[in-house]
Amino acid sequence: MKKIHPQKNFVALTLAAVLVAGLISPLTFRVRAEEPKTTAPATTNSVTPSAVSPTASTSALHKKLTGAELYSIHCNRCHPERFPTERTAAQWKTIMLHMQVRAGIPGKQSRLILQYLQENSGR
Amino acid sequence: MIKSRSIFGLVAAGCALGLACPQPSRAVVSDEDFNALKTLVQQMNGKLQSLEQTNLQDQRVIQQLQQKLTETQRTAVEAQQNSIATAQAQAAAPRVPLDEATVNHNFQILGDAEIQYNKTDHQNGAFLLADFAPIFLYRGGENILFEAGFDFGLQNNSPNGGGYTTTVNLSFAQLDYVLNDYLTLCAGDLVLPLGTYSERSAGWLNKFPDNPLAVDLVPGTGVGAELRGALPLGETGKLLNYSIYGVNGPGSANGTGNAGALDLGGNVGITSGGSTANTHGNLVGGARVAFFTPFKPHYDLEVGLSGQSGEWDDAGKHLWSAGVLDAALHLGANFEAKGEYIISRYGSDDLGQIHQQGWFLQAGYKLAGLNLNLPALNNLELVARYDSMRDGLGTHTRRYTAGYIYYLTSALLFEGDYEIIRSSDPAQPTSQFILQMSYGF
Ligand code: HEC
Repeated sequence: MKKIHPQKNFVALTLAAVLVAGLISPLTFRVRAEEPKTTAPATTNSVTPSAVSPTASTSALHKKLTGAELYSIHCNRCHPERFPTERTAAQWKTIMLHMQVRAGIPGKQSRLILQYLQENSGR
Repeated sequence: MIKSRSIFGLVAAGCALGLACPQPSRAVVSDEDFNALKTLVQQMNGKLQSLEQTNLQDQRVIQQLQQKLTETQRTAVEAQQNSIATAQAQAAAPRVPLDEATVNHNFQILGDAEIQYNKTDHQNGAFLLADFAPIFLYRGGENILFEAGFDFGLQNNSPNGGGYTTTVNLSFAQLDYVLNDYLTLCAGDLVLPLGTYSERSAGWLNKFPDNPLAVDLVPGTGVGAELRGALPLGETGKLLNYSIYGVNGPGSANGTGNAGALDLGGNVGITSGGSTANTHGNLVGGARVAFFTPFKPHYDLEVGLSGQSGEWDDAGKHLWSAGVLDAALHLGANFEAKGEYIISRYGSDDLGQIHQQGWFLQAGYKLAGLNLNLPALNNLELVARYDSMRDGLGTHTRRYTAGYIYYLTSALLFEGDYEIIRSSDPAQPTSQFILQMSYGF
């Protein structure tokens, strides 16, 4: 009954490669965390999914979180990051209420993120 | 010379003075006259005093009157101002917006669109599906949001062709009322927190063009009410997420309690026969709790446990219950792994207890993480997934998927996947190739 599927091996290999890459990536990150960060605001629909969010600090979380930090904690979890410049300040207000409910973000954190998005929306 | 002239002048002046001055000593005033005159003067003085007093009184009265006049004038002015203010307030009231946003700012359309090309083994390749899934958001003030998602699908041929179908589905339609920072009340056709897949599965979110098999074991939406929210645990971003809900729950497609009649997505509106949606006696309850912990931005772990249970057949004899364990892990902005383990069981008239079970594990790695100086590779993400499902009626299917996502922009994705399917059901294809363009807007 047992058949040999060459494609199956290919898939298994890819899965293994992805997992290995994932396990290696934290190491690469630790090195890069030492590099200075740019603070330029993200541009609309930036083609490259940025490796490190421009405003995020990669240091461990211990002090009170800022809107920018909360943005980088939450807004890349479920989908590719949506940048502040993609929407106007008024639009963000509605979208953040939507995300607050959908993603289960506490009200206070949601307001901090909203403030960050609005301040950097450019409109 | 000068001296004698001055003396002469002085004498002359003395004479002139002597001539000009009257001589009082010469007039005679009797005592009687003097006394009469004195009385007269005294009387006049008395009259003058009384006049002065009257004048004083009059002035006081005038002052009082003036004061009263000023007061009256002030009252009049105030009254006028008040009436103006009231009039203004009355006139302005309907124009004061509920908050700073106008109606236009309260309303938004988001969503996604997908176009798929599908090649299943032993069949011709075809553009299989065009999907347009707009989401409408209406926000009222600070804490009310109505959200509704639709799904327009065009399958098979163009509209004038033979077997075309266009489907329009209401994916969800819920009213959210934010009670406070930690709790929101939702009601309507709810996206159910049974696992996280259906809450997070819009086309451009999904790293694969199709759903894991096992998510079909649980309903994605349900009509009812839900309380949900999040509690921060400390200051470091850790969260406890919770939700609890009551819905009509799964129903029976044909009124029987037979295993094949289970309808997970049914029980949502007035039936064609005119009876209310809920075809069984009781509502169904469910809940999810999850723990989210970020280590630092882009590094986090989320683990959740959810379940739902209630009767499903019209007679209310059988229970349908499900439990889901979900987890998501991010190690940097470039690596994500997530998965769910799903079990469900339900009683039936014909086949007794049905046990269903399935799981999936998927991972993605963005090559940007390798820091290669190759722009083309920086936009590429490699993805892989394993999923399996036992439907409890004898079919066991396993599937291996490997693919890529090319990010044309952060919201325009070009995906390609190759799937190998191993199923005990001989009707299932054994392999499949899918290309998809996906746009989130
Ligand atoms: C728990 C998962 C989750 C998290 C965390 C999350 N989102 Fe979303 N987001 C979604 C889902 C699911 C959708 C699409 C479906 C929908 O809108 O209902 C979405 C849609 C959006 C959209 C609309 C774009 C479109 O094409 O539909 C924007 C903008 C957005 N999110 C921004 C954000 C921001 C900003 C944050 C950070 C606070 C965030 N999201 C965090 C799940 C999430």
